[in-house]
Amino acid sequence: MDTYLQITTVVGVYVAGVVFVAGMGWRIYQWATTPKSPVRLGMFPKPKTRGGRIIKMLKDTLIAPHSARIEPRMWLFAMMFHVAALAAFVGHLRLIQEYPILPELLGAEGMNAFAGWAGGIAGTLMMVAVLYWIARRTFGPFKQLSVPEDYLLLALLLGVIIMGNHMRFIGHVHAADYREWFQSLLAFKPVIPDSIRFSNVGWSLGTHMLFVNALLIYFPFSKLVHTIGSFSANLVRSE
Amino acid sequence: MDSQQITTLTGVLDKKMNRQLKQYLDICARCAICKDACHQYVATGDFTYLPARRAELIRQIYKKYFTKTGEFVPALYEARDPDENLLDELYESTYACTGCRRCMYYCPFSIDTAWILSVAKAILIAAGRGNEMLGQLADAAIFKSDNFDMFRDVIVSGFKDIEAELKELTGDPSAEIPVDKKGADILYVALAGAHSILPAAAIFHEAGTSWTLSMFESANYGFFFGDAEKARKIADRFMDEAVRLGVKEVVITECGHAYRVANIFHEAWTGKKHPFKVRHILEVIDEYIKDGRLKVSRCIDVPVSYHDPCQVGRNGGIFEQPRDIVRALATDFRDMTPNREQQWCCGGGGGIVAISEMDAFRLKSGKKKVEQIRATGAKIVASPCENCRLQMEGLNETEDLGVRIAAIMDLVIECMDLPGRKQAAEGA
Repeated sequence: MDTYLQITTVVGVYVAGVVFVAGMGWRIYQWATTPKSPVRLGMFPKPKTRGGRIIKMLKDTLIAPHSARIEPRMWLFAMMFHVAALAAFVGHLRLIQEYPILPELLGAEGMNAFAGWAGGIAGTLMMVAVLYWIARRTFGPFKQLSVPEDYLLLALLLGVIIMGNHMRFIGHVHAADYREWFQSLLAFKPVIPDSIRFSNVGWSLGTHMLFVNALLIYFPFSKLVHTIGSFSANLVRSE
Repeated sequence: MDSQQITTLTGVLDKKMNRQLKQYLDICARCAICKDACHQYVATGDFTYLPARRAELIRQIYKKYFTKTGEFVPALYEARDPDENLLDELYESTYACTGCRRCMYYCPFSIDTAWILSVAKAILIAAGRGNEMLGQLADAAIFKSDNFDMFRDVIVSGFKDIEAELKELTGDPSAEIPVDKKGADILYVALAGAHSILPAAAIFHEAGTSWTLSMFESANYGFFFGDAEKARKIADRFMDEAVRLGVKEVVITECGHAYRVANIFHEAWTGKKHPFKVRHILEVIDEYIKDGRLKVSRCIDVPVSYHDPCQVGRNGGIFEQPRDIVRALATDFRDMTPNREQQWCCGGGGGIVAISEMDAFRLKSGKKKVEQIRATGAKIVASPCENCRLQMEGLNETEDLGVRIAAIMDLVIECMDLPGRKQAAEGA
């Protein structure tokens, strides 16, 4: 158990962090150093001003109104996933630093309850969306179009989400203990607090991080680079 | 497949690589939202025509030869060599594509599948699998400019015949079709055939425009074939003419791809800014009508609909001018649903009308357009692209739509007060 946690929640996190940051940097460097197409690839109607183009790009990227019109159900699940993932990401920032004001307003118990609800809802929505995507890829043209990469990423995501939900719903460990672990990583003096190690969710943190590390390591080399690439690709639409 | 050919084909991909293409190949999530955007996929349900699948074939080569992960674990991306199987499917999906870019409109990342397929065409050409018909038509156009002295007299005498018709139509014996006129305001670039010259000439005559007719047609089979070098040479023919004559603007006839080539592609291909404006004839006619330079009556009383050619609308930016012209001519204008930037492709673009083995497929792919036309209840469907009109005429026949497919200039001519109109209409 200790060895497992040592690998996934300490060594693995460092490795994944380095690979992710370097990989994304490499990806952006590659894009930035490849010359732009001399042909303008924009489509009409397009905004006349630069500001208008940027606003349209943000709208297209963050809300995808055109996709909503053509396949509302897929759009709904995709929005559900991405908004919930953003919420989960924001929630995980508590690992670095507790939010100001909120804990004072809600009290320690209230904060834990709030985080439980918010995290639980986000985790559930993400899980539903990923299950929908898996189901969608099992039939018709979607199945024909899918390649192993698609299933691998969905499997990794599902692993991350299920283990996250497991810690959320089964565990009684709260943010403060996880924060102790994560801050120790940031300080390069890794410690896995006993409150986690000897709890019923120690192994689920380990497995959660196993999937997270794998996902982060593969991220820069997968289609998930659409998280940044979609901004510039959507900007080209108005050029 | 020998390694020599793989090197050649991946070399083409390397040469064509640019930031946009790289991003498109890296970020596609294979969500297949594009499937319902493509008229060909919607009409046939055939996987080959699913936009993301068409692009996926190039992605498979890209992953194997341009990414480390694809090189080491090709199975993860189904990455593979550009072998005969891949090229067979690529030929089918690439030359069938009309380049309407409706999939790009709906894509959450705005992936330009047609741009990826322009690279696919370059790969096919390097593999000796470019479409022969389109290639021959492109070569013929280049041959014409390289050996122009051979053709000049025939072309000019053809113009003289049209000029005789023009005199009759306008009832003005001094009406002319100017050629090689230095310092004219407009160089008008028509298509081969009187149908795209005579109405424009009558309109320019009525509006008192200072214009001159290009010796070359605007159609660009090099563009459809997928060879940017040939396409540039074909467009150079009239672009050089425009520079030589010192015109203020180049006006492209009622045509889709020629307008986009002239307005968007040509400057990028040559790396030089045009010393003149490029406009579509419908922009000019709309301006004439609004300025009162061209008098038209609202002479059409049957319902008229308008089809946005993809290269004029979504890819050319001309949405309102043709509608305004039609509204000035007809009492009952009915737009299709959806319209403008969401307009369905009719299925006739991208040079597919010249590929006879795709005829049956092409007509089948017009299913959405047929539904749209039926829903309007229109008796006339106007559209400025010749390929669109050819396709819709085909659909009109096979689907018994009972509509008239018309060029907008023809409708304008019908609603102008021209003494010789009746005779000309009967003669045509």
